[in-house]
Amino acid sequence: MAVRRERAERLADEELMPLVGGKDPEAFEVLYDRHGGVAYSLAYRIVGERTAAEEVTQEAFISVWRSGARFDPTRGSVRSWLLSVVRNRAIDFLRSKAGKAPKLAFDDDSILEQRPAVEMTEEEAMRRETAQEVQGALGKLPGEQSKVIQLAYFGGFSHSEIAEILNLPMGTVKGRMRLGLEKIRGELAEGLA
Amino acid sequence: MTDADRHQRWSEDLAAYMLGALEPDEAVELERHLQDCERCRGEMRWLDPAVHSLPEAVERQQPPARLRESLMAQARADARRAGSGTAEAGGPRRSLLPTWLRGGGSRGLRFAAGFAVLALVVAAAAGYEIGRGGSGGGGADSTVVSRQANGVTAKMVREGDGGTLRLVNVQQPPPGKVLEAWVRREGTVEPVPALFVPDRGGRAATTIADMRGVDTVMVTEEPRGGSEAPTSEPIVTMSVPQ
Repeated sequence: MAVRRERAERLADEELMPLVGGKDPEAFEVLYDRHGGVAYSLAYRIVGERTAAEEVTQEAFISVWRSGARFDPTRGSVRSWLLSVVRNRAIDFLRSKAGKAPKLAFDDDSILEQRPAVEMTEEEAMRRETAQEVQGALGKLPGEQSKVIQLAYFGGFSHSEIAEILNLPMGTVKGRMRLGLEKIRGELAEGLA
Repeated sequence: MTDADRHQRWSEDLAAYMLGALEPDEAVELERHLQDCERCRGEMRWLDPAVHSLPEAVERQQPPARLRESLMAQARADARRAGSGTAEAGGPRRSLLPTWLRGGGSRGLRFAAGFAVLALVVAAAAGYEIGRGGSGGGGADSTVVSRQANGVTAKMVREGDGGTLRLVNVQQPPPGKVLEAWVRREGTVEPVPALFVPDRGGRAATTIADMRGVDTVMVTEEPRGGSEAPTSEPIVTMSVPQ
């Protein structure tokens, strides 16, 4: 058992996926250990409650394990794919609740706990760096651009709903989304330069 | 409306689409446009990292330990059930296939026979080199190299119960297509879960988790997302030693 776990740990995410598809629990465990933390964090950011975040994360990972959902490497990395599964589950959870209360959290990040990582690998350290870059890029965005992006991505609102919430023309909302994403992309490109 | 106008109209919607903020009917229309607009696809590729980076910016939370324990308990229970299924019914992966492919019906038999003929034709045009290493566990370690008639060279490296299939000189699949590997085990063709694509140098690789009982490995071009059964003639068909 230990040997298989060690072997799985040496594999890239893309190499783990066939093993997960073949119902290898060790490969699944490694996948969870690599991405479970950010998956739970994303779920919590969207649903705003620990029990619900746990439920969403559990459902997302089980769907990856059981449903035969296939990872398509042409559409991005395993991590991006997995996080999109988590996001979709979390947004579905929000929509299933009456009223679909927005989880705006523009100013309440300070109330979120930030706990130290149990163990930080080199890969995790690089991700933290990326996270800091993205946080920096988001922080530099004009408020109106950051707001529409967060309402869409973390709140699950459509552009027409956002236009209604913010009392803006739909074209303005879409334009702000575009400008915001372009700025984040530009910051990331600078970070790589 | 000119092509430039159409591009401009949809280009304005790309960011909303990528953030999941278009209405479903708008998203369907945009996806239709994307099939024919390389400029929009290029813009999406450029913006992709920005969207994918958003969850990385979330404040980190420590998931409860019971979440990991619960997930692993379910996974191990599933794996145990799948293992017992292997002994009784010939392997859990067959449940991934539609009934008609499992060999029970006449359609399945026709499919299997057709694939066997294809395999023979390609194998006849291909050369094989087989090297065998020591056996370290349930399966023998071995390497099979097969040069296909279409110029592709396939190398199957068997390690224990699993293996890695490496391809060289593979042409890029047409837009919207990916490579999908298949294994034939006891006369039944099964899909390999991970889809793959060649790099710019024409190299491609995929891992096959369970090679037990497999006598033939094949690769076909399939639509994105993969297929439950092959929809095109194989670009690689190779026999592998038991």
